[in-house]
Amino acid sequence: MGQALIIGIVAGSGYGLIALGLVLVYKSSGIFNFAQGEFGTIAVYALWGAHSVGVPYGLAMLAGLAAALASGLATERFVVRPLFAAPRVTLLVATAGVSLLAIGTEEWLGKGQLRFLPPALGRLGRVSVFGFAVSDQRLLILATLAALALAGTWFFARTDLGLAILGLSQNPLATELMGISAERLSRFTWGVAAILGGLGGILSAPLASGFGAGFVTLSALIPAFTAAVLGGMTSLPGAFVGGVVVGVAESVAVTYSVFHHVPGAPSVMVFALLVTTLAVRPRGLLGSRSAAGAPAEPSL
Amino acid sequence: MNGAPPTTSAGGRAARGAVVAGLAGLVLVFPLTRSGIEVNVYTEAVIYAIIGLSLNVLVGYAGQISLGHQAFVGIGAFTAAYVTTVHEQNFVAAIGVTMLVGAAQALLLGLVSLRITGLYFALVTLTYGTMAESSLFNITSLTGGAAGQAAPKPAAFASDHRYYFLCLAFLAVVLYVDWRLTATKAGRALLAIRQDRRVAASFGADLKRYTLIAFMVSGVFASVAGALLAYNTGSVVAGQFTFQLALVFVIMTVVGGLRSRAGVVVGSAFFALTGFLFDKLHLASAVSAIPLLPDLPADLAPLVLGPLLLLFTLTRHPGGFGELLRPIGRWLRAAPPADRPAGARVESHA
Repeated sequence: MGQALIIGIVAGSGYGLIALGLVLVYKSSGIFNFAQGEFGTIAVYALWGAHSVGVPYGLAMLAGLAAALASGLATERFVVRPLFAAPRVTLLVATAGVSLLAIGTEEWLGKGQLRFLPPALGRLGRVSVFGFAVSDQRLLILATLAALALAGTWFFARTDLGLAILGLSQNPLATELMGISAERLSRFTWGVAAILGGLGGILSAPLASGFGAGFVTLSALIPAFTAAVLGGMTSLPGAFVGGVVVGVAESVAVTYSVFHHVPGAPSVMVFALLVTTLAVRPRGLLGSRSAAGAPAEPSL
Repeated sequence: MNGAPPTTSAGGRAARGAVVAGLAGLVLVFPLTRSGIEVNVYTEAVIYAIIGLSLNVLVGYAGQISLGHQAFVGIGAFTAAYVTTVHEQNFVAAIGVTMLVGAAQALLLGLVSLRITGLYFALVTLTYGTMAESSLFNITSLTGGAAGQAAPKPAAFASDHRYYFLCLAFLAVVLYVDWRLTATKAGRALLAIRQDRRVAASFGADLKRYTLIAFMVSGVFASVAGALLAYNTGSVVAGQFTFQLALVFVIMTVVGGLRSRAGVVVGSAFFALTGFLFDKLHLASAVSAIPLLPDLPADLAPLVLGPLLLLFTLTRHPGGFGELLRPIGRWLRAAPPADRPAGARVESHA
């Protein structure tokens, strides 16, 4: 049980990192960003590319984050901004298109091969919890996520920029009338979200048994969305908590014999968790009440 | 429609006749002159058109996005293969069971959609599709596991050419049902519900009933397409029904043009044929002529070019192919130019 818990918490903190970016974009513009996972995969490829030509790991990580940032800004400029007035479902489809474009391009340029990434911190199994060794890489993910969730909460509650973003999500017109540029804020949030996605990708890729095209999208996008929904879709600490809950649920689904006869048990678990949350408690664990009764959206 | 009689000249009639004959020749006669392997590709294009129409019912008419349509199609494919191979039933029984199963699973998802709407429902469908891919389609006793399930073509349509015409007949039926769906009370109710659920309900449109009808129609279309797809390739494996495929389905329907039957058919067929055309026109070598770029394999062409087309459609040309085809359709019917804005539906006063 202890082991399943630890594995789950660590896997879940990776989902939490991706979920933070999802929440940030949703909080500021009401968009479900299906390209969030691919920001991470692009970062992983850039890190791998730089590292394999001899760039030191730390610098290569920066290159990865820069690539994620560039893809986030490009998405904002060429997809989100032209469609900003469109229904949110249109934007969801558009970001899904960005995601597919990235996956197709990675498959094409990566020639469909599986690649491997060494961990940022080499030593494994230094710390032992409940008799289960936790690698440095896993501790790094956990610490990064916790720090970012706290920093993000402080940012939205205490800084002018954070409040401006919140204002924009609640009433764009009034916020613009206060002299705040919606365009600059949109660019800022997409940039930060892409870096968060990038971090999620480059920190969790060394733990996986290799990565290929669409690595982060296929392995973490749905759990991350479920985590964000569990957390209330607008709460940054909620994304963290949601990530851990989803991670533990998946890990339980793999560990316990009840599920052994079900192939792909984690995906069934995530589906059940998502539908149950949306049906029973749509505002999530830490979401605000106002987030629940979102108005009906015009369709595509 | 206004009552003015359409004006036609003898020349106009001849030109229209020539275009219709040309189209009929392309669809009905041209495949007869090609090899069986090539006809398989055309058959797939016909099946994709059915899938596009299925998605169009959900997204275009009911206003519910489905990012899990690979599950709809896959369930149809596996059901048909299971009934045909494991229970050794004939084609008619297999299609019948497939339609029932397809309608039932769509009904379940439709019930979910009554409670969870918009972006959240899109997320549910995405998760549903992925769950089907990694769990449902890997239940060995039903789907044959990793090896997949065989699905031999029905004996009467064993030749590739005959099978092409069988699929074409299914497409014709689907088009007819789709037309009846939009031309009747259900279509008008769905139109009202899509524009504003509350207003529609207050005018007496039975929101639950029509949403569920749309889901079941879409489920039946998709599962039939899945069954036809299974017979066309001769077998089904779980790995066919990926997240990427679900996105391609959505993209082809949107690029084709939601709520435009002709547009969706052309758009879907176009995406099914992209890889084939890419090969035929030797575009792969054109891509590799660009320095630093490796060959673009034909099967990846829809994944790379599709999203670009989608983004172009969404930002510049929201009507898709359907918008481009509309004036041609109007000319073929010798109808006067419509005076309403593009994209608006023609309401009849039945």
